[in-house]
Amino acid sequence: MVLAKDQTAIVGIGWTAFTRNSQTSTTSLAGEACFKAIEDAGLLPRDIDGVMSWFHRYADGISPRELGEAMGLECPFVLNVDAGGHWMCGAVTTAASLVSAGICRNVLLYVARNSYSEGRTHRAAQSSVGAGTDQFRNPFGQHLAATTFAMPATAHMARFGTTTLDFAHLAVTQRKHASLNAKAQMRKPITIEDHQNSRWISYPYRLLDCCQQTDGAVAIVITSAERARDLPHRPVYIMAGVAGEGETANLWETNGVNIAPKLYQAAGVTPRDVSLAELYDPFTGMCMLHMEDFGLVPKGEVGAWVTSGKNGLDGETPVNTHGGLLSEAHIIALNHVVEAVQQLRPEGVIDDLCEGPHTYDRTTCRQVRNPEIALLCGESGGSGMLLRKS
Amino acid sequence: MSELAKPAPVPDHDTQPFWDACKEHELRAQQCTGCGRFRWPPQGFCPGCHSWDYEWRLLAGGGRVVSFSVVHHSAVPSFKEDLPYVVALIALDGTDNRVQLTSNVVGCAWEDVEVGMRVQVVFNDVSPEATLPQFRPAAAGGGEGPPRSALG
Repeated sequence: MVLAKDQTAIVGIGWTAFTRNSQTSTTSLAGEACFKAIEDAGLLPRDIDGVMSWFHRYADGISPRELGEAMGLECPFVLNVDAGGHWMCGAVTTAASLVSAGICRNVLLYVARNSYSEGRTHRAAQSSVGAGTDQFRNPFGQHLAATTFAMPATAHMARFGTTTLDFAHLAVTQRKHASLNAKAQMRKPITIEDHQNSRWISYPYRLLDCCQQTDGAVAIVITSAERARDLPHRPVYIMAGVAGEGETANLWETNGVNIAPKLYQAAGVTPRDVSLAELYDPFTGMCMLHMEDFGLVPKGEVGAWVTSGKNGLDGETPVNTHGGLLSEAHIIALNHVVEAVQQLRPEGVIDDLCEGPHTYDRTTCRQVRNPEIALLCGESGGSGMLLRKS
Repeated sequence: MSELAKPAPVPDHDTQPFWDACKEHELRAQQCTGCGRFRWPPQGFCPGCHSWDYEWRLLAGGGRVVSFSVVHHSAVPSFKEDLPYVVALIALDGTDNRVQLTSNVVGCAWEDVEVGMRVQVVFNDVSPEATLPQFRPAAAGGGEGPPRSALG
C-alpha cells in the first residue's frame, strides 16, 4: 500500500529565526512557526484538527498535546514520534495519510527546539549513560554523532576512493547556497582551504563537515488536494512518501537503497525527473551517500559529482538549495521541506537576496530554474518523499 | 563513581552473559540454535527464524576493521586525555559478519588504522565490575585470511 498520489498537499509553511540562543521557550518557538504556517495556508487555528511532531531520543520541545492545549485547539488528533532524523519524510507521510483517510482535515506538523542553547547540557549528560543501546557505544567513547556517521563515510572512502577533498566541495557548495538565504545560520562563504584547514572533530570529519545546532522552529500545514485548491498559495502536491528501514549489504550504503525504488515506483517517476533534492545532511559524507542511494549519481561516483558542482543551483540536480543542516539550520530537516515547498511555488523562494522577480544571478538568487519535482530524504534513507508543483 | 569516570556498561537481561564473559576474558557471541544465525545486539528471539533458543559461543577473538573514526574532539571530560583515539566497527571472526562490535583499536598509532585490517581482542579491566573488549592489530600472518572485498 502506498499513499494516494497527489491527493494531499502542503499548503502552509512557517519558521522562526534560526539562532544559537532563542532566549524563549519551545512553546513560543512552536507557536510562532505554527501561527505563521496556518496564516500562510489561509486557515485559522480552529481549522487545525491534527497536530504532530517528532524528536530524537528525548523530547526536547513542547509536545503536540501540550501545543494543542496552548493554542486552544479543540480535541486535535496528536502524534509525537521518537525516531530522529530518519523519520522526517515519514512524519509528512503520516500526516498526509491521516488526511487521506479522512481522520483529519488539516494537519499541523512542526519541530521546535532549543538545540544549541539547551541541547549541549543534555548531550553531555547522555554521553555518560552506559545502559540500553548506549552500553555498546558510550563506554568506548562513541558519543558523538560525528563518530557514528563517520563509519559509513570511512567505508565509502576505502571502497571507492572518496576523499575529504570531495567532502570539502559539498560543504563549499552548500555554504554558497546558504549565502543566498536570509534565514541561514551560516552565510559567510567558505573555501576549499577553509574546509581542509578546519580542525578535526572525528575523522574523516572536520568542523566544516558537521551540521549546525539550532534554536528555532519550523511548521507546515498538510491538507487534501481538493481543499488545497481553494487556498491562497498554489499547492505543492505530495506525490509519494515512504518510510521503514531494513538491512543493507554494505556499510557504504544507506537504507535509501531499500526504499528509493519503492518511492519512485509509487510516484511513477525516475531519478532523472527530479528537479532538485533536499537531502538529510548531518555530515557531508552522509549527504553524499544519500545522493547515490536515491539515484542522483551512480554508486561510488558521488565524489566526482560534487567536485564538478553537479549539486549546485545550476547543476544537474541542485541539492540542499537552502544550505541544508550544514549551513542553514538543524530543525531535524523539517526546514528541508519548507525549502522544497518554497522552490516549487510559482513565486519561488521569498527569502533569498533578489529584490523583485528572480534573476537567477547567483550572487543574489537561489531559486532553481523551473523546478517540477523535489526529492527529500531522512537520515540514512530512513524515509523519502517526492513533491511536485501544481 | 567519580565525576571523571568513564561510563561503564550497564548490562541488562539480554546482554549480561556477554559482559560476564568479558570479565572472564572470554569473547562470546549469542548464536541461535534454531537457525544458526548470530544475534547482535543480544536479544531473546531470533530476527531470522524467531526462535527463542540460543547458545553463547566462545569466539577466538580475531576480527576485522569494517570501518573506523578517529575521535579528536570530546565534550566528555573522562575521554579528553585519550584524544585522539580510535573508535572502530569490528566484525568478529566466526560470526558470519553478524556480530559487529563498536570498540577501540589500541596498541598502534591512529594513523596506522585502516579498513580491512586484522585485529585481535584484548581485555581491558577498567574496574572490578567491568571489562571492555578492545582490539589491537593482529600479528602478521594471523587471522582468517584477506578481508572480504565486499566489505572493503
